Amino acid sequence: MSQVALVTGGGNGIGRAVARRLAATGITVIIADYDHAAAEQVRCEIVDAGGTADALSIDVTVARDAKAVVTDVSQRFGPIDILANIAGGSFYTKRIEDFTWTEWKHVIDTNLKGTFLMCREVAPIMQKQKSGRILNTASNYGVTGSALRVPYSAAKAGIISFTKSLAMELAADGIRLNTVAPGPTDTPRVMEKETGEARKQRWYSSIPLGRTGKPEDLAELYYFLTTPESAAITGQTFHCNGGLL
Amino acid sequence: MRLQNKVAVITGGAQGIGRAIALGMGREGAKVVVADLQGEKAKTVADEVRTLGTDAIAVAVNVASEPSVKRLADQTFECFGRIDILINDAGVYLKSPVVSKSEEEWDRTLDVNLGGNFLCARSFVPAMRTQKSGRIISIASSIAHSGAREFADYAASKAGIIGFVKALARELGPDGITVNAICPGSANTDMPRRHRSEEETMARLRATPLGHVLEPEDIAGPILFLASDAAAYITGQAYNINCGTVMI
Repeated sequence: MSQVALVTGGGNGIGRAVARRLAATGITVIIADYDHAAAEQVRCEIVDAGGTADALSIDVTVARDAKAVVTDVSQRFGPIDILANIAGGSFYTKRIEDFTWTEWKHVIDTNLKGTFLMCREVAPIMQKQKSGRILNTASNYGVTGSALRVPYSAAKAGIISFTKSLAMELAADGIRLNTVAPGPTDTPRVMEKETGEARKQRWYSSIPLGRTGKPEDLAELYYFLTTPESAAITGQTFHCNGGLL
Repeated sequence: MRLQNKVAVITGGAQGIGRAIALGMGREGAKVVVADLQGEKAKTVADEVRTLGTDAIAVAVNVASEPSVKRLADQTFECFGRIDILINDAGVYLKSPVVSKSEEEWDRTLDVNLGGNFLCARSFVPAMRTQKSGRIISIASSIAHSGAREFADYAASKAGIIGFVKALARELGPDGITVNAICPGSANTDMPRRHRSEEETMARLRATPLGHVLEPEDIAGPILFLASDAAAYITGQAYNINCGTVMI
């Protein structure tokens, strides 16, 4: 029977590439995204390529959404084997005194609380199965910090430590958790705000491999961390950033 | 097969983790140079690799000796004409408290474990630069992060590897060469048995959060990933494989 993967934020960017990569290996992929049209689009891409997928709407910051999605997926597709928490974003770049409480909550909740809510729903299913893999998404900024992205950096650092803690909690049940920390990656959301030339100017000289990342670069790492080749790996942070950090 | 026709050199390839890497590379279609101080054992592993349907040679090498490493490079180029993957796995693991550790012992650990990385990189990097591609993967240890009583030289050498790898990644990135380290926890090989009883060794190996005994194959798998095209954008990293014993 095919494995079942739930990918939050699977409608765009890195999430989309991960959904497609997993589906290409025969895994049934459920794309859960705030942007339903985007999730549906990725579902069509996967199905057109011969894979199995479904698309669902979710706001990962809302506990009842997380519960509803996980319940729905398990009822229709069976136990979830892989959870990839990719929904997130920095959303704002501004000085701390200009951040409102609402904006702070938006960033912390989408990245960190969303990861918590999804893990809280999926962990019991994996515990019952005595197996499972959870992949959370941080950022190089979660380690280095980033001026004008204080809430994002805090949330991503939080995800790294959250993942280690939960990895310790769930290891005895055969569940592995790891964090993927992308560097600057050419996602549609980022490319909307910055031209390719501007990105070159900003990044290329500080990235040893001389280019920014592609969502597909990251997708390979997520996929590796779901395979038996990574059976002895849990609680770790995997940077993929061309050597930036 | 992910490494079809790539040429891989594995130092310390005659036993334990290095042997598992050599066999894994062979299964993925790579041509393998099994390089080890123990030349006879290296031959046995090269024979095993050849049964997988690929080419392999064994070379006796002392990675702490520049002429010896040069001969390794010469033989590699003579037999296979190129180098795509360099795995620095040769290492020694000597136990003694710092206050009674001899200078000779210190030098041997640092020269083999860390100096070997330097000498091998120096001999193989020029060819990788010419090709504008290459993968260097060095085996560090979770002891680089945690330290270990009576293994101060080993811990220092392995932490040194992480620094070396990060610096070399910056140096070689513009030439399309990636450089990474792997930090394994204690694995089910001869190495931990050198200083402990069988019973104590197995008890320690089982006492991991995942409750899984770390086998050489568990370490070879991630190395195959790092050596493959799938990891083209990963460089300068030190990935931990330890069943959850160290999280850093």
